[in-house]
Amino acid sequence: MLKKNINIRIIFAFIFILLSFFQVNAQGWDIPADKKAKNSYIKFDSNTAKEGEAIYTKNCKSCHGDIGKGNGIKTLNPIPPDLASETSQKLTDGELIYILNVGRNAMPNFKNTLSEEERWKVISYIRSFNKQYVQVLSKTDPTKSKLVKVDFNFNAATNKVNVSVKANETSGVVVLKDAEIMLFVNRYFGKLQIDKTLRTDMDGNAVFSFPKDLPGDKLGNLELVIKVNDEIYGEIESIKKLQIGKPTDKPSLTEKRAIWNVLKLAPWWIIITYTSMVLIVGLFLLLIVRNLFKIKKLGEKV
Amino acid sequence: MIDQSKHNKITSDLLSHIRLNYSFKLWMGLLLTLFVICIYAYITQLENGLAVTGLGDYVSWGMYISNFVFFVATSLIGMLISSVLILSGAKWAAPLARIAEIIALAFAAVAGLVIVSDMGRPERLIYVFLYGRIQSPILWDVTVVTVYVMISALLLYLPLIPDMKICYEKLDKTPKFLRNIYKILSLNWIGSVEQQSIIKKSIFILSILIIPVALAIHTVTSWLFASTSRVGWDSSIFGPYFVTGAFVSGSAAVIIAMFVYRNSYNLKEYITDLHFDKMGKLLVLVSLVYLYFNLNEYMVPGYKLKKFDAMHLNDLFSGSHAFLFWSVQLFGLIIPLILLLFKKMRKPTPMLIIALFVIFGAWFKRYIIVIPTMEHPFLPIQNVPFNFKVYTPTLTESLISLAPILLVLIIITVLSKLLPIIPVQETIEHYEETK
Repeated sequence: MLKKNINIRIIFAFIFILLSFFQVNAQGWDIPADKKAKNSYIKFDSNTAKEGEAIYTKNCKSCHGDIGKGNGIKTLNPIPPDLASETSQKLTDGELIYILNVGRNAMPNFKNTLSEEERWKVISYIRSFNKQYVQVLSKTDPTKSKLVKVDFNFNAATNKVNVSVKANETSGVVVLKDAEIMLFVNRYFGKLQIDKTLRTDMDGNAVFSFPKDLPGDKLGNLELVIKVNDEIYGEIESIKKLQIGKPTDKPSLTEKRAIWNVLKLAPWWIIITYTSMVLIVGLFLLLIVRNLFKIKKLGEKV
Repeated sequence: MIDQSKHNKITSDLLSHIRLNYSFKLWMGLLLTLFVICIYAYITQLENGLAVTGLGDYVSWGMYISNFVFFVATSLIGMLISSVLILSGAKWAAPLARIAEIIALAFAAVAGLVIVSDMGRPERLIYVFLYGRIQSPILWDVTVVTVYVMISALLLYLPLIPDMKICYEKLDKTPKFLRNIYKILSLNWIGSVEQQSIIKKSIFILSILIIPVALAIHTVTSWLFASTSRVGWDSSIFGPYFVTGAFVSGSAAVIIAMFVYRNSYNLKEYITDLHFDKMGKLLVLVSLVYLYFNLNEYMVPGYKLKKFDAMHLNDLFSGSHAFLFWSVQLFGLIIPLILLLFKKMRKPTPMLIIALFVIFGAWFKRYIIVIPTMEHPFLPIQNVPFNFKVYTPTLTESLISLAPILLVLIIITVLSKLLPIIPVQETIEHYEETK
């Protein structure tokens, strides 16, 4: 009896915690202070805003609507705000990019679908609706990311991808310690993350486990993408094609004659049936028209 | 012994309606006024696109497509009466053949226009022909409807040739250009044995040819639905289900036309109670067959109620479409069918009322086939407002849907003012045979 009660209490407590968690989540974003203070390394101007608009139209407009017009979807929970609104514009640039990075509920995160530069450009577009906005530029030097060299290879014996991240400073080679690092494989509809998000060790290295059975192209090629996020060097992306997938040779569904194919590749049975039917009916109709002329001619004789 | 005075009476009786009178002008004036209003509605659609309709991402086939199906359906009656009945030796149907053929031609010809009204960018219609795929039932539908219009026109015209000669000779009060047209259309008809044999053979060929083509037009129209994997459409009996339904609405259309022609054109001696009685029995027959297909179409999936079917069928049986569904089944099919079993009901006036119920029911039946299915996709769009998921036609859309119906009435009215709607030559021959 006692045990049952405890169980029920635990369940209630759990439900309560769960509910309060959703409550907090629904009310606002819980953004860490250091993320709040983040600033863009891109100077916002009319050009970046214009590029941002294109990205916004493709990725954000379907829910948030046209900025300043308040025509977003009202049936979602929470309602996607109009980003020209005071509450949205009050957020710092750091808070805005954090929201873009993590997403919540119906809002997806854009960390892996948009590059950092693209995300800042969207924010540049959002800020273009705020006349009072004064930008604080980040001290991060965007050119620094160009110094970084990401090296990675696949170890077939252990099924691991070994990565090392270094920067070629003028003063010498610097290893990137404790930088956030992710491994992706390019697929048809976006990037597939492999293993977990890791942090580089003291030597700037990271090791990802890689699955054996990931389908590649005919030769087994896969396109691997390493993404690094570093406090000093910013965002770095490196792409390499490796022959480590399972060779897959599936003929395209549009190569052979099929119902779903273009006219030129229609199945023979349809072409023959359709054409012969049209021809047969057409011949009969011609016969009738000829008969009509015959009738007319017969009348003329008299 | 040829009874010339009787021949003259038949001729003058059957040609008497080819003249412009007050009631015709009033009726045409009304039709044209309404038609102009509908055209205005269509212009607003041309300017603003399909946004003026209630169509959306969920229900992209609404009233327009139900209207199209209704039009193709009703046009099928031409085949049933002027081909099947006459080939099978039902002599009573002969005076109705032309009425049925006029209805068939008008509905089939206008059906194509109904499809165009469903296009937001009608100027792109040409792309269907330029880039159409032979694999698509839509292309087959365009083909068979076009062929059906051609055969129907020929089947209307061929028996008319001797009558055109009569029109040319007897209607000396009509304007000269009209008489010239009659003369040209009569193709030097002299009624010689050779001419008669050619025309009989040609009509025979067309009467047989029209059967597969007519079955094809409505079967292919049903395939526009059945070849799609959607609840309510994913059915293997859709072809015959549509064809039998077509005979129901077509018979009702012929009954209404018979009543109107008989009363306003003074044809009581030619369209008799016997014809109404026979048409009533025909309507019972086709309704019974249609009821049988309805039973199969709704009872079999209704017995199993598979997950997605259940969503759709519950909506029809007891949900938001239940009122329309049961009204259509009861007042458009079951009650008319029972009533027509009684001889008293197979008289002109009760049959007109019954036929009106049947034809309205037939229109709403197409609505019930098209719209509820569109409201229940297998993969619903996420997070859309409620008004996206249900369909309510707008006034503009309703007016645009009314336009083709008006156009059909205009065509039928105009044709009946230019042609004898009961074959003159055949009636005379029939009189000679039965004398």
